Amino acid sequence: MNTQPSALANSAGPVSGDSAAAKSRVLQIDRSCRLPLMFLIACSLVWLVAGGFLSLISSIKLHAPGFLSQSSWLTYGRVYPAAMNALWYGFAFQGAMAVALWLMCRLGRAELMGGKGILLGAFFWNVAVKLGVLGILAGASTGHSMLEMPGYVSPLLFVSYCLMGVWALVTFHFRQERQLYVSQWYLVGALFCFPWIFTAAQLLLVFHPVRGTLQAVVSGWYGHALITLWAVPIGLAVLFYFIPKLFGRQLHSRHLAAFGFWTLAAFGGWGGMHAGAPVPRWISSVSIAGGMMMILPLIAVALNWHLTARGAKGPENNQVFRFVQFGAIAFFAASLLDIGGSFRVIGEVTDLTVFTTGVKALYLYGFFGMTIAGAIYYLAPKITGCDWPSDQLAKLHYLGSVVGILVLVLGLVAGGILQGVRINNPEIPFVEAIRSTIPFLGLSTLGGLLLLAANLAFLVNVIRLLALCCCTNCFASNRSPAGSGPAAAGANL
Amino acid sequence: MKPDRKKKQHSSRESRQPERKTKRGSGGDQRMAQDVEPSAGSEITPVWLFVLMGLMLYGGMLYLNSYAGGFNPKVYEAFTSYKLVENANPKSGPEMLIAKGESLYMVCAACHQVNGMGVALQFPPLAGSEWVNEPNPARLIRIPLHGMNGPIKVKDQDWNASMAALGAALSSEDIAAILSYIRQAWGNNAPPVSPADVDAVKEDTKSRPMDGSRPWLIDDLMKVPVAP
Repeated sequence: MNTQPSALANSAGPVSGDSAAAKSRVLQIDRSCRLPLMFLIACSLVWLVAGGFLSLISSIKLHAPGFLSQSSWLTYGRVYPAAMNALWYGFAFQGAMAVALWLMCRLGRAELMGGKGILLGAFFWNVAVKLGVLGILAGASTGHSMLEMPGYVSPLLFVSYCLMGVWALVTFHFRQERQLYVSQWYLVGALFCFPWIFTAAQLLLVFHPVRGTLQAVVSGWYGHALITLWAVPIGLAVLFYFIPKLFGRQLHSRHLAAFGFWTLAAFGGWGGMHAGAPVPRWISSVSIAGGMMMILPLIAVALNWHLTARGAKGPENNQVFRFVQFGAIAFFAASLLDIGGSFRVIGEVTDLTVFTTGVKALYLYGFFGMTIAGAIYYLAPKITGCDWPSDQLAKLHYLGSVVGILVLVLGLVAGGILQGVRINNPEIPFVEAIRSTIPFLGLSTLGGLLLLAANLAFLVNVIRLLALCCCTNCFASNRSPAGSGPAAAGANL
Repeated sequence: MKPDRKKKQHSSRESRQPERKTKRGSGGDQRMAQDVEPSAGSEITPVWLFVLMGLMLYGGMLYLNSYAGGFNPKVYEAFTSYKLVENANPKSGPEMLIAKGESLYMVCAACHQVNGMGVALQFPPLAGSEWVNEPNPARLIRIPLHGMNGPIKVKDQDWNASMAALGAALSSEDIAAILSYIRQAWGNNAPPVSPADVDAVKEDTKSRPMDGSRPWLIDDLMKVPVAP
């Protein structure tokens, strides 16, 4: 379909003769992932675009309140949580699941187990997210941040998560390579953390609601733990996989990585209550102290990557490298902003402003989205057996994402700080303080628009890749099923 | 730290790995089979990182010690300790008297000491004293009102000292406040004294001057009825 040279190559060097068997083994492993993973990736990107569209609407409403105000379905209080839920549960979870399953297979040198179960789980997960997002838009939100989906959706969400997650663990259990790599620690940790935080928060908020101020504590804890105990470990697993790979070196130290892993596990779940929250003071103080301790995993990870990549030049003109690099930088930026914002002195200014929205966007789009996208650029050609149909779309995706994320996040962070400073100044009337953020909010809308365009380009590229894959694999030969063995897979190409 | 069971075998495999790196093929299928899975080296974790962790844990403890409001669930954001919360709240009745008595007790602390233990052989203790803890304060009120002189038995010890009269210097409310305070401080446990109680005693002892010219002697004091 497209013959121009692809920029997605990662490795270079002489072929050694005895690698033929290893090659066909890797081929077999990749092929075993094809159907469930491509389904997850495609669904995840559809949610990314849908969520981006919804968040664009909510972003416009911040500086043009009259926009689409006739319909109760599209009021800000419904559109914003709907967008966040679509992005986190629709995009982030499915994208993460796809990448996590592939990493489990690759690092364990084992074929993916339970492909049909994963497909079933992914199908019901999508049904659940769709019901949830529509429920929020219809006004049935629970009102708890990041858990807005109506109560009847969450059991389905949980069961379908388990349907997918259990196969990651089964694949992990039957791994051929017994020596564990750093990414696997993070993946297993994240796979177990989500059911824990999700069921705990659902039980305490939706099914047997705790009383009064404790709800704010549980909700704040869940929102933060979802990032630090789920999104960050998954993203780090991907980065720990690709950084040594892209630099063609081995990771500097597994012991340093263990230090980072255990400090993250120990202190990741402490944060979430911002200073000034209407809860007993010790809760926010513990949260601040825990947030401060998060500097330790940050240092350990940064040091490890720095010592791994020291003196080496990353591959040039490599799409995966670009995305992964941006994701890694965004990880540090978002974490530092998050830790900084948790201090009382800064929190007094930034709390309850769009600053926190900006930091969350940096985590979601900058760190998580870019890292997962980098992984998808790497793994999708491998599991489909086809090159990316368009390098132009990929470049557009990268450029649009970088500019979009920078504009979006800078708008929200700078606007939030200005808003906070002005609200705290008793000389300035409240409405004037709010009004002064309008240019910044406009900037964030512009960023959101660019990002949406970039993600649309990504989605189109993936759809074209899927079409290409179908043409070459399903119709060219006699419908040989995916993962039918190295010989059959080789013959298909 | 993760135990590194297979360190030896592992590192030998790692050293082989760079050779297994293969060149990029012409087609996509060939290329995908050539990527080598990452592995990790076994460099030790720098010691300063553990030192830093220790320092940060210590700093965190210090922070919680001074900014967590003593982990009291009643202390919310604007306050750093329960004491401040208490002071910011309006007091009522006996509580207010006791709080006032605590600051006025400085007058008494000169002899009886801040801890209420008195000074051995000179001034008898108030903590645990049967005179202070008597449910009926009729005798207790008389002592600061008119002063006291001569021998007295406190906590099975004989004391021989004289106490100044404070009735002229302090109002009924002040005396009630001080007595209420010492009756619940340092483990003492007796009901508070109201200003009305003090006024009633003043009424009963009109003939006795409050300038200290006629302090109580133990025999006179024992004649005052304390039956409920």
